[in-house]
Amino acid sequence: MIEIRQLSKSFGSLQVLKNIDLTIKQQEVVVLIGSSGSGKSTLLRCLNFLETANGGEIIIDSELINSDKTNLNKVREKVGMVFQHFNLFPHKTVLENIIEAPIYVKREKKEHAILKAQKLLQKVGLRDKANFYPEQLSGGQKQRVAIARALAMEPQVMLFDEPTSALDPELVGEVLQVMKELAREGMTMVIVTHEMGFAKEVADRVIMLADGYIIEENHPNELFSNPQHERTQRFLNQVL
Amino acid sequence: MTLFTNIIDIISEHGIAFLKASWMTISITAISLLFAMIIGFIFSSFKISSNKILNRIADLYIGIIRGTPLIVQIMFLYYGIANFVTLSSFTAGALALGIHTGAYIAEIIRGAVQSIDRGQLEAARSLGMPKSLAMRRIIFPQAYKRAIPPLGNQFIISLKDSSLVAYISVTDLYNTALTVQGENFMPFETYFVVGLYYLIIVLIFTFITNKVEKKLDVSKPKEALPA
Repeated sequence: MIEIRQLSKSFGSLQVLKNIDLTIKQQEVVVLIGSSGSGKSTLLRCLNFLETANGGEIIIDSELINSDKTNLNKVREKVGMVFQHFNLFPHKTVLENIIEAPIYVKREKKEHAILKAQKLLQKVGLRDKANFYPEQLSGGQKQRVAIARALAMEPQVMLFDEPTSALDPELVGEVLQVMKELAREGMTMVIVTHEMGFAKEVADRVIMLADGYIIEENHPNELFSNPQHERTQRFLNQVL
Repeated sequence: MTLFTNIIDIISEHGIAFLKASWMTISITAISLLFAMIIGFIFSSFKISSNKILNRIADLYIGIIRGTPLIVQIMFLYYGIANFVTLSSFTAGALALGIHTGAYIAEIIRGAVQSIDRGQLEAARSLGMPKSLAMRRIIFPQAYKRAIPPLGNQFIISLKDSSLVAYISVTDLYNTALTVQGENFMPFETYFVVGLYYLIIVLIFTFITNKVEKKLDVSKPKEALPA
């Protein structure tokens, strides 16, 4: 589904990603962990081309993306993204947030887009909030709307950039619940998170990054119970 | 009490002339602002653009216009280029005022657009929206509401700055005051009266801007409707 070869990225003189190789299979749920500054968010953002890599190749759906010729907007339609700070459009209602891109990017009929949006809202448990503005929702509700908004484009992969980090602790569960449901349905997902319990339960593979390198990757049970790398051990001691 | 009666006299004698002159002030300001808004939109998009050449052009324009006095720009357009193009005093005045205000409006619009959280553009782009569509559908609708208070402020400044066109013999409010004062030799009373006229126009305008601002307030969402 996604193949990354020798990906590198620098901000000025600071190299945040160093020759990353990573393959993500269809329906796989991959969790990226690592301390802040390890490059995990940058890696995720490169997959959506919100950051342009300085070197290497990204192949999505057997199409090489790093060339200038590829239409990034088309690629982004296939790759949904959920942000730490939700980034809902404040001037639009929940429903309008969700139907915006299907109508204006995918050229779907409005009635069709609304029907689909209502189904998605049902799925994330917010059917009754369709006509609310983002400001009237709790953080957890906002994030569930953001997930529905991304799903409305019918992406093949979903990227989650610390989706619960900005939430009050009691609201984390409802968002993770929606994500678990998605994983169960077979969505391909790449998730940056600090929720180790969630990673253990849902991930097919956990990847540990440090200083821009992938230093360890394994099945969550294996990685959490028996970390090989010294830095992984230290990191897990700090967060668990 | 003579001051007071003098003021009443001036108003009763020249009130109509001042009203006509007010209309001149308002119309030259309105036309220049229309022009300034167009310039402002063009140059703000130049500044926001990722094209370096367009950035430079906008910087040059804004730099020159903000770096030189309005009166010089007015004189330049009326007398300075008279050998090549002859403009009527009204046209030259409106043009100079528009070019001048346009530079400030460009900066106001740019500021409003750039004040919108980066995440908004990222979210729109991540949904596959091309930049132009994201700007049109997501960024501008949020930005223009933020631009209204500083724009209102700029409009008021322009209205008052339009008094400088008196120097190229546009018969605006200020020019009329100069004439009246030249006849009656009562500078205190005459400038008091003309000041009053400007003040009233500005107050009316402020009232309208406040209404518009309230109507467009994004921070207060509309009443939520039942699903």
